[in-house]
Amino acid sequence: MAKLPLEGIRIADFTWVWAGPYCTLQLAHLGAEVIRIETRTRPCITRQLPPWPQGKGGSLNRSGYFNQYNQGKKSLTLNFKLPAANDVARKLIAKSDIVVNNFAHGVMDKMGFGYDALKQTKPDIIMISLSGYGDTGPYRDFIAYGPAQVPLSGLSALTGYKGWPPMHSGFSYADPNAGVHGAFAIIAALIHRNKTGEGQYIDMSQWEAMMALLPEGILEYTFNGVEPERNGNADPQMAPHGVYRCLDRPGTILGNTIDQFVAIACATDAEWVTLTRMMGRPELATDQQFTTVMARKANEELVDKVVNQWTSTQRAVELAESLQNAGIAVVVVADNKFLSEEDAHMRERDYWVYKEHAEVGKMQHAGVPWKMSRTPTEVRAAAPLIGEQTQEILTDLLGYSATEVESMRAQGALE
Amino acid sequence: MPGALSSLKVIEVGGMVAAPYATKLMADLGAEVIKVEPPGVGDPSRGRGPFPGRVPHREKSGLFLYLNANKYGVTLDLARPEGMELFERLVSEADVLVHNLWPPDMDRIGLSFVRMSKVNPRLVMTSITPYGLTGPHRDWRAEDLTLWSAGGICAINGGGMDHPEMPPLKAFGSQSGFQGGVHGAVATLGAVMALMRDGEGQHVDVSIQEALASQLELFFEYWPYMGLIANRLGRKPIQPLEAMQCKDGFIYLCCVEEHQWRGFVEVMGNPEWANEEVFGDRFKRAENWEALRIFLEEYVSHQTVLDLYRKAQEKRVPFAPVSTMGDLLNSEHLKARGFFVEIPHPIAGTQTYPGAPLKYGATPWEIRMPAPVLGQHNEEILGGRLGVSAARIAELKKVGVI
Repeated sequence: MAKLPLEGIRIADFTWVWAGPYCTLQLAHLGAEVIRIETRTRPCITRQLPPWPQGKGGSLNRSGYFNQYNQGKKSLTLNFKLPAANDVARKLIAKSDIVVNNFAHGVMDKMGFGYDALKQTKPDIIMISLSGYGDTGPYRDFIAYGPAQVPLSGLSALTGYKGWPPMHSGFSYADPNAGVHGAFAIIAALIHRNKTGEGQYIDMSQWEAMMALLPEGILEYTFNGVEPERNGNADPQMAPHGVYRCLDRPGTILGNTIDQFVAIACATDAEWVTLTRMMGRPELATDQQFTTVMARKANEELVDKVVNQWTSTQRAVELAESLQNAGIAVVVVADNKFLSEEDAHMRERDYWVYKEHAEVGKMQHAGVPWKMSRTPTEVRAAAPLIGEQTQEILTDLLGYSATEVESMRAQGALE
Repeated sequence: MPGALSSLKVIEVGGMVAAPYATKLMADLGAEVIKVEPPGVGDPSRGRGPFPGRVPHREKSGLFLYLNANKYGVTLDLARPEGMELFERLVSEADVLVHNLWPPDMDRIGLSFVRMSKVNPRLVMTSITPYGLTGPHRDWRAEDLTLWSAGGICAINGGGMDHPEMPPLKAFGSQSGFQGGVHGAVATLGAVMALMRDGEGQHVDVSIQEALASQLELFFEYWPYMGLIANRLGRKPIQPLEAMQCKDGFIYLCCVEEHQWRGFVEVMGNPEWANEEVFGDRFKRAENWEALRIFLEEYVSHQTVLDLYRKAQEKRVPFAPVSTMGDLLNSEHLKARGFFVEIPHPIAGTQTYPGAPLKYGATPWEIRMPAPVLGQHNEEILGGRLGVSAARIAELKKVGVI
């Protein structure tokens, strides 16, 4: 079988939480050997968060959060309070192609692993920092947490119901976004190194990587001096365009009934005509209030009301299926249960991964979001237990003797 | 110094965001990108805006101008044999082809990896499609809203405990396309690494739905691990993690770690209520959020955003402003980093755009030329590069192939 795209590339992964691990997950998907440098003295917060099987934590290896974003990686535990740990890390970096971290600005320098120091160890090393604010500028020492980066970026000011305050995106979007942009930056740097033999340092600001995704909002301001209004799920050029309640009630949360919704994006006047027929309301196809996109935008509340009345009598899955068959973009608004159990398409594409894990067994995890025809990329193993490969890395890769490893372990350097 | 990807030759058949963003990332690092648009109308993002003065004009659409700077632009009707023939000649000289044609449109014009790899066995061809090129939803229609919903993200946003009547809410803009684009760019460069090693190309099939479903933080795993639905109506596990209104705008309160909460309490001047047992740790603050919120709203409403932001950051508390577009453009930090860039364009004029999402130490991120006017480089690329005669180009233009 063909070798994987990044086979033979080794990554010293100093990352934690989500942004950095999402970055190195992409590289692991592509075949790189990713070694996460962890410590039991301050374990990654995602190892300590739910969900846990049967709701029972009590171990650093049972979190679904950690186990999702660290598939296919190795774990080496080091306690940097002891000098031996620094020697191990330096030796590992000397045998690595890439060093990744998402600490705040300056932390790697303080640990003695700044780029200038690493270059002494390995002249063609590629190093990337995925910090909240970047390495320069007056706020470079500010600290950033995933949830706060979404409002900082400008996305919250743009997101929300019409006339309501700014809303969040619902997840720490800036984290995976920085991670995937970082993975892109790293592979581009590898391509450059292949050609020239030259490594380099990459400064990535999570804030800036988010603003790269907001041209429609930012340019409304730079072109016209106007702050865009929040507009819910509406679209300037399509109507109906929204999410609509269905008949299904899949469960309750905190006493609130969970309704099932469909998302409908009706892109053309012809699709509107089709939709009126599907709704059993053919008279609306010729109603002047609705015949053109402009008319439907002008009467959007009424359009949404009409559509909602109909969808609330329908089951979501069948409705999506029948409207797609009629050529309209409609889907069930999928939650985690729906994705896990009911999305037949993702199942058929073999997207989900079930790798054996010593503490949680074969759990369902999200896999690789692309398929390659010649060098098939796949998740190769479940996430590592904390320190699972410490012994193997120290002896097989770095050449420490059994006695040396034992001595480091006794000092607590491998905690 | 040339950019990191300066030796890479890329052909893009892109509409709206996904493929154009993937190749923008490459073009800004020096790759040569030739963008192929349909004659007459061009990329639909030309009609999307925002437009200066809000007057629609196909050469003044902000989304198009942002996504397509640094690219050469040619027009070819790929549904016509003469158009496809010229396209194949372009592909024969390229390393990478990135497209986001809807699969039924690929079928209609006969664009497939089998055909393209005959033209160029070294070709990396990347198809970024809503659902991927296999499976029962391959030919389903999609827009940003339906993808954000199908990927599982809409369901975790909007409404909330206090407003269960409000529906799931999509994030602003074209986020599905951007995520399809950047994940597609990662996979494409991976395939380029394999090409440099093995001398062989391949087909990369990127599903935007899957790229989104891989970003569900800890929410997806609640079902396989615990049998729990994660939904926007749930209670946050820890607090405060909320936006609140100051005198002059909104600030996002963010206390994840206990020391951050203690820092915030100090910033507030150690009010007595903060010592109440019911606010004793991050979990209790979430359970008693309705009460805590009243105290915090009262305090925050008397503050200004920048002042509270700076005071919190001085105590290592990661608050952030809810930035407006004006805040971003005026930010002293972003100015010092030179984030925003000006790009002159012959028709749209000189405008300010978001700049580099990453800064390299050795190789540049740079804007070398503005987005192409529709068909701007037909003569240069089809004539100069492929050697099509001026007479033939004129003839093909007349019949609408170019």
